[in-house]
Formats: sequence, structure tokens, C-alpha cells
Amino acid sequence: MKIEFTPEQEALRQELRAYFDELMTDELKAEVAEAVGEGGGPLFWKAMEKLGKDGWIGVGWPKSLGGKGLTEMEQFIFVEEVMRAGFPFPFLTTESVGPILAEHATGRLRDKLVPEILAGKLIMGIGYSEPSAGTDLLSLKTTAKKEGNEWVINGQKMWTSLAHHADWIWLAARTNFDPEVKKHSRISIFLVPTDSEGYSCSPVHTLGDVRTNATYYDNVRIPEDHLVGELDMGMMLIFSQLNRERLSLVNVGAFSQLFNDVTDFAKETDHPGGGKLIDQGWVQGNLAKSRAGLEALKLICYRQASEMTRGNLPMEDASAAKVYGTEFFVELYRHLGEILGVNGLLKRGSKGAVLNGRLEQLYRTASIITFGGGTNELQRDLIARGGLGMPRAKR
Amino acid sequence: MDFSFNETQNEVKELANKILTDMVTVDRLNAIDTQEERFDSELWAQLAEAGLLGVAFSEDNGGMGFGFTELCLFIEETGRTVAPVPVIPVIVGAGLPIQQFGDKALAEKLLPEVATGNLIITSAMTEPYNIDAENCQTKATKSGESYTLSGSKTAVVLASQANKLLVSADVDGVTGLFLVDSKAAGIALTQLGSTSYEPWYEVQFNNTPVEDVICIQEGAATWTEERLQAALCAHQVGVADKSMRITAEFTCERVQFDVPIGSFQAVQHRAADCFIDVTCLQLTTYQAVSLLDADRDATNEVMIAKIWAGDTGHRVSYAAQHLHGGTGIDKDYHLWRYSLFARQNEMLLGSSAELLGALGSRIAEGKAYTE
Repeated sequence: MKIEFTPEQEALRQELRAYFDELMTDELKAEVAEAVGEGGGPLFWKAMEKLGKDGWIGVGWPKSLGGKGLTEMEQFIFVEEVMRAGFPFPFLTTESVGPILAEHATGRLRDKLVPEILAGKLIMGIGYSEPSAGTDLLSLKTTAKKEGNEWVINGQKMWTSLAHHADWIWLAARTNFDPEVKKHSRISIFLVPTDSEGYSCSPVHTLGDVRTNATYYDNVRIPEDHLVGELDMGMMLIFSQLNRERLSLVNVGAFSQLFNDVTDFAKETDHPGGGKLIDQGWVQGNLAKSRAGLEALKLICYRQASEMTRGNLPMEDASAAKVYGTEFFVELYRHLGEILGVNGLLKRGSKGAVLNGRLEQLYRTASIITFGGGTNELQRDLIARGGLGMPRAKR
Repeated sequence: MDFSFNETQNEVKELANKILTDMVTVDRLNAIDTQEERFDSELWAQLAEAGLLGVAFSEDNGGMGFGFTELCLFIEETGRTVAPVPVIPVIVGAGLPIQQFGDKALAEKLLPEVATGNLIITSAMTEPYNIDAENCQTKATKSGESYTLSGSKTAVVLASQANKLLVSADVDGVTGLFLVDSKAAGIALTQLGSTSYEPWYEVQFNNTPVEDVICIQEGAATWTEERLQAALCAHQVGVADKSMRITAEFTCERVQFDVPIGSFQAVQHRAADCFIDVTCLQLTTYQAVSLLDADRDATNEVMIAKIWAGDTGHRVSYAAQHLHGGTGIDKDYHLWRYSLFARQNEMLLGSSAELLGALGSRIAEGKAYTE
């Protein structure tokens, strides 16, 4: 039992912190703040290109596929520093879908897409959810049917984030229509170019001001080699991809920084009744609750990364990390937001906004985290089954 | 970054688990409850025999020469079995500070006797409404070559059967640790009725002569208190984890509406929340314990673990009782003792509220930023 980084990991941490400090110029910060969480501006693409050149894209990919081959623990450190810096790194494309694509896409497509991803020139949208298939993903209705040497795709996807910046959609569609076949063996994964005829995308504006999209597939025809992996076995790829997503789903970097920033704010801000804000007992109480919760989150995240590095992450621990982390964030934003008071309601750019309006916005964006990435109800089912041996719940 | 236990640690844990689960049966606990005091002297002797009481004493002190981590893994098992043995007050609250701060010859004389179970020295540090170990109301006064003590301590475990007490007391603004014979002049014991039935005493000192001065040194009482707090957390890990597992098992067997109640999602989710709470308690506790084992500064980490011990203990205990729907309160069933110890561990040496207050002060002083 030794809960600290090795000297090499600590060095990597410092290297990354310095690197991202330099990368995040004031201009880039301003551009990123405009389009929260999604990037896509000219400075963003420039930064992506630099990250690609410097070898910071694909850090978790095996070296044989052109990546850096970092362990899960090192990838976790990477994610933590990126999040601390606030760069909208497209983890889904580069670290989650990317390596799965590199392993399973057919030769021609792989040779075309992998270098573009690693060079920071390509972002993908993920097309899983549909208007009537969310948590119950296996019941999705989008279809792909073979006609000659082409696949013809029809259907609608919901919450296709980043689709408006994406050149490709990583799409799940039903390919097997035999009613006898089990639900998890009838879906396949396709790569759909967003300039295909019959493809369209319309924006969904959200509470958190993060744009997402609905995407439509009306007789979209793609070449047969755009099928990724084995026919009807797409769920395997989806599981591997979601598993890789864990390291970026719940992370402590950005929130440690936020806690420190609010602490400093409370120490510096005068209280009208005399003294500083932080002299108030309730302010100290809110900070202490946040601090105690953050410490547990840190340990949960580190243990998850360490178990993944050892290739042994129990399902219940992964689910516990997701549930605890996301529900804690919601409380954290509330407790920290209370300290900022009425000024904490002011948006970035407004007169009087505190900490650049970060908490005003986080409080709104936090609505998605408890269901995104696998809804917490489903995660609790998994904890009860995997961690406590309770019977499978009826659906 | 290593969250696993090494071979020695696993061996200690397994050894403790084996002895405790073999011996501490529900029948035996029931029998112990009919005694005057809830103390299993036969089990104490067995634990001594196996070397567990001296697991963290050096070989010179008659021990196995392992660390605080091994000791806390043993303590976790005493929590898992709600064993009627005073490992925390005797080994953590008295043995460890004597080993750390006491005269070498004295430690080599006393601790081997503690390790064999022949000598019981119990810790007398707790005062009501006061978790600041460096601000004792009990006073020590110089008297010739030695000192006398005056004041009062509460929640002193097994004071009646202890040979000696290790008492914290103030000497002109510095807290010292003093060894007192339990039969010394001016000592008055009053039996208290504790919630867990652990044999507690209020001990009053009235010009009581000190037998040996262990140390008069700033920080020594805090050193001891932080280890006591971490040990309570380890005990709570055992109590909470076992309560949760007893409960999960129960819900798989209890049938209502023709199905095990554990198949209901509402029941599963209450249990899953316990799992998350226990995970948080375990991780924060192991972190605090391993830092203390390495003699690192761990004030924030111990506070945070103890906050989790309070919150997790409270929530898991009530969830366990709730999901048992009546069976859990029946004293013929084994859950009730866990609920009592969850509560005791929650409240001793600082509740969650008190420690959140203390942590908040440290944040305000700039001593608890995140890395």
C-alpha cells in the first residue's frame, strides 16, 4: 500500500502541467470559453495540430498502432492535467474510439483515418443513442442493409455530440433481423462520412449551453469496407470503447483546481460584516465537505487507474466510481456555488462574474453527468449484482 | 501507486480473521454479555498467543516488528466480528506511544508483557467536548522528582481490569503522557453505561502519583490521537463492511411477493449506496493508515477518514437495519451489535460535524489545499 505517484509519474505530471500551461494562451482560453466543452475554433485546431506533432494524441494507444503506449495510470495523469488546464481535448475520438478503430477498421480506412486522428486533424461523432433507445441501447432502430457492395443506412440518432465539427460518425446500426438472434448479436459498427448524401445534422441547444445534435440518415450509402470489425458483433466494440472512456468519465484534476480557486476567493473576499468570507463558519463547512468528498474521489480514481493498469478492474468498482463521482460533482458545485452567493449566478463576461462564471455554468452542465456514460440506476444494479451478489433485477 | 496489501499484511489479516471468526460466534458473544464486563479474556490470550497483540511492537519490545498498517488490518477484523477485546485502547492508545516516546528500557520491560496479554495498560485520553489532544483539562503537577495528576477522563475502556493507565495531562501548556498504576492513591473509577456495552469508566484523579513519565513533549498526544482515530476508522471499515454483507445476504433469502426482496431495484440501490460509502471509507482509511505507518504528516487525511467513518457508519447502519425490516433489531440475530459499534465509532474522538469544523479551520489557514 503506497498511495503516491512514482518519481517517473510525478515527472510526467509536472511535464504535462508545464506543457498545457504554455499551450493554453489567453486567446485560446477565450476561444474555448466561447464554445464550452466542444472546441472546434481555429485556435483549437491549431493547438490540436501542435499536440499531434508533439506526440500527445493517442497516448493510450499501443506503440504498434502509432501511439505512445502509456499505461492506464499514465493516461489517467494525462487526462487529469488536460482537464486541469481546461483544454477541450476530444478524448472520445482520440483515446476511446481511436485505438478500437485502429485495431478493427479495414486496411484502407485505417490507413487513411489513423494518421489524421494522431495528427489532431480529425474528430468523430458517436452515433449510439436514438430518440427511443438510450439506456436500452440494444433496442436501437437505425438499420444498415447490404445492397451490392454498399451498405444503406436509415434512421435517426440523438445526442450526436461534436457531429457539427466531425468528418465521420462512429455509428451503431442494426444489421441482423432474425428474431431468433439474441439482442447483443445483431448490431454492427460503421464509419459514416458526414459529407455523405442523405446525411444531415441539426443542432440541439442544451441547458448547459453545450451544443449537441440530432443526426439523420436517409438512404445513406457507404462502401462495404466502412463496416468496422465483425458483422453483427458491434456490441463488443461498444463495450471496449466505453471501457476506455472510464478514465476520462470521472476525473479529479479540474475539480481540485476549482476547490483551490474557491478557497482563495473566500480568503481574499471581504465579508460585509467584517473579516473575510472564509471566516464564516458555514463557508468553512462547505469547503470542508467538498474537501472530504474530493479526497475520496481522488482515491477512487487513482485506484481505478491502478486496477486498470493491472488489468483487473472489477465491474462494481468501475460503477461505484461513476456513481460516486458524478453525484459528488453535483453536490460540489452546489457547495462551492453557495460560497460565491448571488455573484455565482452571473455568467462569464457579465459585470461581477466570479471565477469567470465557471460555477454558474458547471451547475447547468452537471445535469447530464448522472445519466451520461451509463445511467447511475444501471450502475447501481451492477454494483448490487457484482459487488454484493444480489439477484438480477427484473426489467 | 499501489493499493494492494503486501504478503505480510495479507497474512496478518488472514490470521486475525481466522482466529476471530472461529472464536467470536454469536453464542459466545451472548455468553460474554452475561458477564459483568464485556471482555473476552480467553480470546485476548489467543490473540496474544498468535502474536497479534504485539504485531506492531518491535522485536526488542516482544513484538513481530511490523507496522501500523498490519495492526490496523487486525483491528479491521475485530470490527468485522465485533470482538469483545480492547485492542484500540490498549495497543494503539497505550502500547504505541510507550514504544514511540517512552524510555527504551521501560518499553522493553512493559511491552513484552502487553504483547503476551499479561499486562493491560489502557488509554485514558478522552475528555468530554474536547478533541484537542494538546489542550487537556487534566493537569500534571511537579511533585519532587515526579508528578501528580488531577482531573477526570471519560470512556476509559476496561479501567477496572487494567494494571496501568496511560493518561494525557497538561504541564504548563504542554501535554505529557503519564503512566499511572490503576491502584494508585487518589484514583476513583465510576462505571459508565456505554451504548455498545463496552466496559467504560470515568476515571478521576486527585493528586494521583505518576509511576512513570512517558514524555512531556508537544505533539506526542496528537501523535497518539491521530493513530487512535485512524484505528477507529479501521474498526469501522470492518463493522460497516460486515453490516452491508450481512444485509445483502439477508435480502437474497428473504422472500416477499414470491421473490427475494434483493431482486427489487429499490432494495438493490440502497445496498449499492452502502457499497459506495464503504468504498470511500476503506480508501480514505487505508490512505491515512499507510501515511501514519510511514511517519508522514497525515492530519488532513486522518480527519477526512474519520469524517467518512462517521458518515458511512451512520448511513450503512440505518440502511442495514431498514433492509432487514425488523429482523435486524432482534437480539437473537447478529446485526444489532454492529449497529451499536457503528454508532460508537462514529462519535468517538470527533464526530463528522466536529471534524468538518476542524478541517474547515485548516482550509481557512491554508493548510488543506488539494495537490
